[in-house]
Amino acid sequence: MLEIEDLVTTYGAVRALDELSMWTRDANLTAVLGANGAGKTTLLRTISGLQTPVSGRVRFDGVDITGLPADRIVRMGLAHVPENGGVITELTVEENLRLGGLWRRDKAARAAKLREVYDLFPPLAQRERAQASTLSGGERQMLAIGRALMSDPQMLLLDEPSLGLAPAITVRIMRILRDLRDRDGLTVLLVEQNARSALSVADRGYVLALGRVVAVEEADDLLADDRLRHAYLGF
Amino acid sequence: MDKLLTLTLGGLTSGAVYAALGLSLVIIFRATRVVNFAQPALALISAYVAFSVNKATGGYWLGFAAALLTGALLGALTERLIMRRLADRGHLAPVIVTLGLLMVLQAVAGMIWSAEPRSFPYAFDFRGTFSPAAGFAVAVVLVVAAGVLVLFKATPLGLRMRAAAFRPDVAGLLGVRVGLMLTIGWTLAAAVGALAGLLAVPPFIYPTALDSVFVHALAAAVIGGLDNPVGTIAGGFALGVGLSFVSGYVGPELVTMAALAILVAVLVVRPHGLFGHAVARRV
Ligand SMILES: Nc1ncnc2c1ncn2[C@@H]1O[C@H](COP(=O)(O)OP(=O)(O)OP(=O)(O)O)[C@@H](O)[C@H]1O
Ligand SMILES: [Mg+2]
Repeated sequence: MLEIEDLVTTYGAVRALDELSMWTRDANLTAVLGANGAGKTTLLRTISGLQTPVSGRVRFDGVDITGLPADRIVRMGLAHVPENGGVITELTVEENLRLGGLWRRDKAARAAKLREVYDLFPPLAQRERAQASTLSGGERQMLAIGRALMSDPQMLLLDEPSLGLAPAITVRIMRILRDLRDRDGLTVLLVEQNARSALSVADRGYVLALGRVVAVEEADDLLADDRLRHAYLGF
Repeated sequence: MDKLLTLTLGGLTSGAVYAALGLSLVIIFRATRVVNFAQPALALISAYVAFSVNKATGGYWLGFAAALLTGALLGALTERLIMRRLADRGHLAPVIVTLGLLMVLQAVAGMIWSAEPRSFPYAFDFRGTFSPAAGFAVAVVLVVAAGVLVLFKATPLGLRMRAAAFRPDVAGLLGVRVGLMLTIGWTLAAAVGALAGLLAVPPFIYPTALDSVFVHALAAAVIGGLDNPVGTIAGGFALGVGLSFVSGYVGPELVTMAALAILVAVLVVRPHGLFGHAVARRV
């Protein structure tokens, strides 16, 4: 579904992505792990068009999307839940959700999707008219994921959805991602520092350090690899 | 009592103009955090176009429509050709550029239409207390303001525009064409500004005709909160009435000073406007 080839993204002199290559299987959940500053956020921002790479290619579903603007990439079926969710706190819960699917022409499909998202995240349905600024951290993350689903994506990029959440909520969010993969065939690229929860639901995992891939294995093998776990995953 | 009524109605009429011009500033400020100092010049040129069309055709409304179209077009061009290039240049550059544009456009207007005051018609009969022309000014501003509010609050386009203003990065990730939203915002704002110009200019048009109106409109927007359309409209009418009282009961020579005094007083007590709230966040 997603193929990345020798991607380089820089901030001035910092090479945040350093000839990074990666690919994902369809209807799989791929974890991207790594310490602070490894380049995980930069990777997602470059894929979704928020950042322009210096060199390298990103292909989505066989189409070269390198350097396209973000609003075009999401319309191709690739949705990005940014770091901290990116919930627009000045808008209501429902406005945030509707915004996610507004570009789709089919009104009936949009309405159906909204009901689907409310079914998936009942706390959002209860608070649909509330200002998004009044939501708890867990609810905000649900809103961010639900909003991305409003575009009916083929693939979802998530940037540390567990950040700052209680363990029980993290488990709940991981289960929802697993169900989306298993039930809807959604392809997921999940960036996490919380390697243990990510690998509990992932099929494959990449480990990044200094903008490079230092390991890629099936999730079970990553969990079993003590040396790698100690060196990069911190558990 | 009669004087009070006359002053109130007169104040509402000039307040309508401050409200409309203030609203055009707010639309752009909400979207870009830029105070468009070129707004009076865009409105001026639009009004001059109405003047020329009036002279050529003899009718008022064709010129009226031409002015709104000219305003819309000038707004779109200003955003596309100038403001877009300044997006990453910090907060000061856009302010200075709009100020420069103000002076250039006023000079251009003077070159095309001369600096001499030319007579400019009212929409309707302007004689008497609260004339048809005054009633038209108040009504059209209220209708336009309501329309802008409905657009922002209750339409998909308005939702996109608000999202693009609050979080351009996130809006892009949600499929919103942020650049297009900015162009639409400038277009709409400059059309509203052109309307204000048409209401403010009569009986005479000349290159600096809108300068003092603009100062009052800016004061209205600051009083109401620069990112608060409702507050600005209320602020415009309130300022119009307040200044009309100052002029009628104290003396017309004190109007400008009173406007500044009100402005400073509001800024001291409520730095984000009477109805505004802090715009601290700009992620
Ligand atoms: N806006 C920026 N300007 C300059 N350098 C940046 C910027 N954003 C990130 N960097 C640098 O790029 C590198 C990668 O950062 P990135 O945010 O992609 O890492 P990350 O893996 O997401 O980290 P974290 O786990 O802390 O979120 C780091 O060295 C960081 O300091
Ligand atoms: Mg990060």
